[in-house]
Amino acid sequence: MIIFLYKRMNMINKKTGWLLLFALLLSTGIQAQRTTSIRINEVLVINEDNFVDEYGKRNGWIEVFNTSAGTVNVAGCFLTDDPNNPKKYPIPKGDVLTKISPYQHALFWADGIASHGTFHVNFTLDPNKENYIAFYDSDGKTLIDEIVISAGQKPDVSYGRLIDGKDKWGILPKVTPSTNNLTLDTNEKIDNFKTNDSIGIGMTLTAMSVVFLGLILLYLIFKEIGIISIAAGKRRAKKAAGDENHEPGEISGDVLAAISTALFELDEDVHDIERTILTIQKVKRTYSPWSSKIYSLREYPRK
Amino acid sequence: MHESFLSFLGENLQLFLTYTGFYNATPGHFIMIAIGLIFIFLAIKYEFEPMLLIPIGMGILIGNIPFKDAGLQIGIYEQGSVLNILYQGVTSGWYPPLIFLGIGAMTDFSALISNPKLLLIGAAAQFGIFGAYTLALQVGFEPNQAGAIGIIGGADGPTAIFLSSKLAPELMGAVAISAYSYMALVPIIQPPFMRLFTTKKERLIRMKPPRVVSSTEKIVFPIIGLLLTCFLVPSGLPLLGMLFFGNLLKESGVTRRLAETARGPLIDTITILLGVTVGASTQATQFLTFNSIKIFILGAISFVIATSAGVLFVKFFNLFLKNGNKINPLIGNAGVSAVPDSARISQVLGLEYDPTNYLLMHAMGPNVAGVIGSAVAAGILLGFLG
Repeated sequence: MIIFLYKRMNMINKKTGWLLLFALLLSTGIQAQRTTSIRINEVLVINEDNFVDEYGKRNGWIEVFNTSAGTVNVAGCFLTDDPNNPKKYPIPKGDVLTKISPYQHALFWADGIASHGTFHVNFTLDPNKENYIAFYDSDGKTLIDEIVISAGQKPDVSYGRLIDGKDKWGILPKVTPSTNNLTLDTNEKIDNFKTNDSIGIGMTLTAMSVVFLGLILLYLIFKEIGIISIAAGKRRAKKAAGDENHEPGEISGDVLAAISTALFELDEDVHDIERTILTIQKVKRTYSPWSSKIYSLREYPRK
Repeated sequence: MHESFLSFLGENLQLFLTYTGFYNATPGHFIMIAIGLIFIFLAIKYEFEPMLLIPIGMGILIGNIPFKDAGLQIGIYEQGSVLNILYQGVTSGWYPPLIFLGIGAMTDFSALISNPKLLLIGAAAQFGIFGAYTLALQVGFEPNQAGAIGIIGGADGPTAIFLSSKLAPELMGAVAISAYSYMALVPIIQPPFMRLFTTKKERLIRMKPPRVVSSTEKIVFPIIGLLLTCFLVPSGLPLLGMLFFGNLLKESGVTRRLAETARGPLIDTITILLGVTVGASTQATQFLTFNSIKIFILGAISFVIATSAGVLFVKFFNLFLKNGNKINPLIGNAGVSAVPDSARISQVLGLEYDPTNYLLMHAMGPNVAGVIGSAVAAGILLGFLG
């Protein structure tokens, strides 16, 4: 009993261990989909005649962008201008506005007055020197994104990613706080098809090739699986017939057992003596629907 | 006092009249109501896809009851109305994958696994989609709209709704109604073209009976099918993922309850909601346009192309097959994914020419391959044009 319980506990522990491992992997994945999707997207160092904050003041600002298809809450994460102090500005928790919608932006004012609200960091951007800006995860150790803005930025000209969330940085043609750095007023994919494939032949050829490729691959795989399955089926049938363990011509164990039983019965004289007269006697039974087979069997559908 | 009360009653009555359907009706409403009644008639009298045409037909009636736009939240396009909330399953595209889950849980892929070359017929029939896409471009539709129209040729209602809700939501009502109408009319559309492209000798081809498929093969099929098709076309994941998931529930043998729920109460519930809301979305003002007429014509052509392509592909394929392994081209039509109606047509037509030649089991192969093929095609269109 104790051994059984021990084994059972061991099994449960193993199961729990696997479940915990899966949960851990899953939670890592979930985390990866969250704050790691945030990118510093656009920075305006000198704000002379540009966007005004809710207090009517003009200051430099840092825009972050959610590159994922899910809402990301940046509460608890950190913004900093000091590589040695990753936790310089903790983004406050409890503000619904820290949830950034998919492919949307949030703007942080670099006015050095954190008391002005969630989106006012406790440092400023210095126009006379390089500005280091970094975004850290909520553990204060995992660096998610960083950028160094060179000194000598022009007033009211922002530096940012040329396409939101993408790698390439540069001077942006226009300042775009809380909006896309690259404004798309057309659907590039559709325009491309309109220009290069107005008849639809290109789409037909490409798409049908992919459909055929997918189904040909499935065909080839299942052709092989079919061959393997048929071979396995034959092996199993052979094994079940008992032909596998003895050479052709050799008598199987079943046959030997039957012969031995017959010889034993003959020696012991236990075999009953049968009369060779066949008698057919009619047995009369009264029919009753209660004992009829047709009422106790399931009928198959007629169609 | 008495007179003022009477005038109050009169005004109230007049106001009430402005709220009635009779007051707000337009000829368009009556045309749509007539279409809804035709759907219901076809479903009850001729049993053309009654599970779909009854909810859609009734939905058309519901959606075309005229009413005064007084912010009462009754119309399907009024945010927060009951119909609007139910309609979100269509606009957000989560009804079709749930339908696919049920389809997966009720589909037996044995015919396909036992003779996997039938998969290729399912691929060939997708020419209907791209034929209609090409034609739609020629009659002035944008590429994304042409993609949504083309998918009618896949003969798969949920796929058509899924793709059109993503590519061209403004055409979704017409695309869905067209797809379901032609799916119901498959017994009328397909046979003439099956006869046209086959000789009498070809119609008499007897195919080898399918071999018995092991349960391991049936379990492996949805897993490999999912991995392969979705690695190739990830944009088909919502449909293909649910289709193969449903099939694994069925074939694993250990999730009988889940499989029964997916192929029973769940798919029934979603079919009801999908049918009635798609029907209700065809409000006269939105639906009765010249574009809808064009979509209906293109839809019919796409079915013809899909049927013909399937049949002709089998004839072409037979050139490479040895005698005894040849495929009866009458199962080519089943490459469109109207399951199991198009397979039934193969059976009926086959029996017409040889009363002992049963093609149903063979036709189910390309039929279920068509479901996979149209979902892959939808994924490609979504990837390119979405």
